[in-house]
Amino acid sequence: MAMTNAENGRQPVIWPAKANHVPKEVFVRPDIFEEELRRIFYGPEWLLVAHESEIPNQGDFKTSRVGQVPLLITRDRENRVNVLYNSCSHRGAQVETAPMGNKFRFACPYHRWSYDSAGRLVGCPNKPGDYPDNFDRSDYPLARPRTALVHGLVMVTFSEAAPPIDVYLEGLHDSIAEVLAGNGRLRLLGYQKVLLKANWKTYADNDTYHAGLLHAAFRMLNWQGGKGYQEANARGHRVYVGELSLPEAVDRLHDPSLIEHRSGGDLSRGSVSVRFFPVSGMTRHLDSISIRFANPLSIDETEVHYTYFAHIDDDEDLIRHRVRQASNLLGPCGLVSMEDAAVFHRLHSGSRTPGDAVFQMGVTDEYEIPSEFGQNDESSNLPGWEYYRKVMGFAKAPAE
Amino acid sequence: MMADPDALAAVDALQTRYIAALDGRNMDDWLATFSRDPGASYICTTAENEEAGLSLALILDDNYDRLKDRVTYVTRIWAGTFADYRTRHFIQRTACRHAQDNLYEVETNFTVNYTPVETGRTELFASGMYFDRVIVEGSDALFLAKKAVTDSSMVERFMAYPL
Repeated sequence: MAMTNAENGRQPVIWPAKANHVPKEVFVRPDIFEEELRRIFYGPEWLLVAHESEIPNQGDFKTSRVGQVPLLITRDRENRVNVLYNSCSHRGAQVETAPMGNKFRFACPYHRWSYDSAGRLVGCPNKPGDYPDNFDRSDYPLARPRTALVHGLVMVTFSEAAPPIDVYLEGLHDSIAEVLAGNGRLRLLGYQKVLLKANWKTYADNDTYHAGLLHAAFRMLNWQGGKGYQEANARGHRVYVGELSLPEAVDRLHDPSLIEHRSGGDLSRGSVSVRFFPVSGMTRHLDSISIRFANPLSIDETEVHYTYFAHIDDDEDLIRHRVRQASNLLGPCGLVSMEDAAVFHRLHSGSRTPGDAVFQMGVTDEYEIPSEFGQNDESSNLPGWEYYRKVMGFAKAPAE
Repeated sequence: MMADPDALAAVDALQTRYIAALDGRNMDDWLATFSRDPGASYICTTAENEEAGLSLALILDDNYDRLKDRVTYVTRIWAGTFADYRTRHFIQRTACRHAQDNLYEVETNFTVNYTPVETGRTELFASGMYFDRVIVEGSDALFLAKKAVTDSSMVERFMAYPL
């Protein structure tokens, strides 16, 4: 009897020779998940963990995770954004547990060590003789990973081997700015957080790529098969630009404000997405600006925080419009995307069968990694899969 | 001010009708629990957004037209596109105050179990509170505004039906 992929987990992965094949076992093998944390999430990649507009005021903070590593992201009294490991420099207890808030002093409850919002140790109650004679508070700040800011995006890496951020995101700065209202000067509107019962790669593979046939709402609004293009680079980052036309009469919607476009700009670029390798991304669709902070919890659970924004200069009416549109259009309950999560789950369940997932749309040569893509092609995911294969060290089978 | 027994009975009957409509997956009956006032609303959000003062919601149907559109989403646009799930709502009224004239402010705890078709396993989908403004006329009551605030900040997979 053939073994399932999950059961033969100790066999090395041999990647198919055909460039449009992805072995389904990479979605379901726990040993591969552990290796992904080591090589990707804790390796020389930059991970997106926040946008600085989530913590606009001094003392604001949010907590986050990369893989299983807890982070504390703060804005200090000098207005600087700090990314700190959320772990006391004494015995390692998690310092802050709230998802967000405002405070200037973070206290570990274990021995009452406390830190300011720049991560400096500012209190550690002890009496003479408790600590070594040479103990110096300044030796014990909260540790911090390498951090970078790009149009307000807060990026971190745990590896000294990661290239400088401008090299890592080469060619993407203009697209990032275009998604983030032109310059990344944003105002937080709120969160839609979802727990997907799917592998992180299933999510990353399908969140920006819009299966036109899946989205009934896209058909209704005539948003499928429109003009546009995709780009994908050798690091696995992707850009999607799609034209949106607004139907003159929306006979099925009584309140068409859901699909109005009020923030100005060119509808030939009405839908723009940037997706970073490995998993997080951002989308502007009509007037809805969202960053999707995604993080793998296990081989078959992925947390995604759909986080929505207005531009800092928007007037009250435009802010209200963005709130009303974003709440109902995108995310795990949105008109055009609710089915996504349902399909992620089915893709993941199906990945427990033997064989490969096979990409077809836009593939011209089965043995070549493509470099040009139409608006609706699934082939734009293939450069990212090749990058993943190399990072994971999976050998490729010889061509037949 | 406390609500009188007749008003309480009308409010409770409305809440029961509401959960029966949802568990029966009957969106027309769901819509019929709302007043036809153009400003009638249904909002579903998380306690996390609510407490942070963030107005973005999971569902924001803040006028009667959007309530009608919600019925269209579920029955015409999404129908057949997702793996369905059965829901079971349980509610407990915790407060009912007479606000003015025939308007009452009602607070109700809820839990919602769900059973996805593909697993056949019943699990907790959401718990939280309804904050409602209810119009009572005689023995009849309708929602002028209904807000579901979930305890969890996280949606389990996806949400096709209102809570």
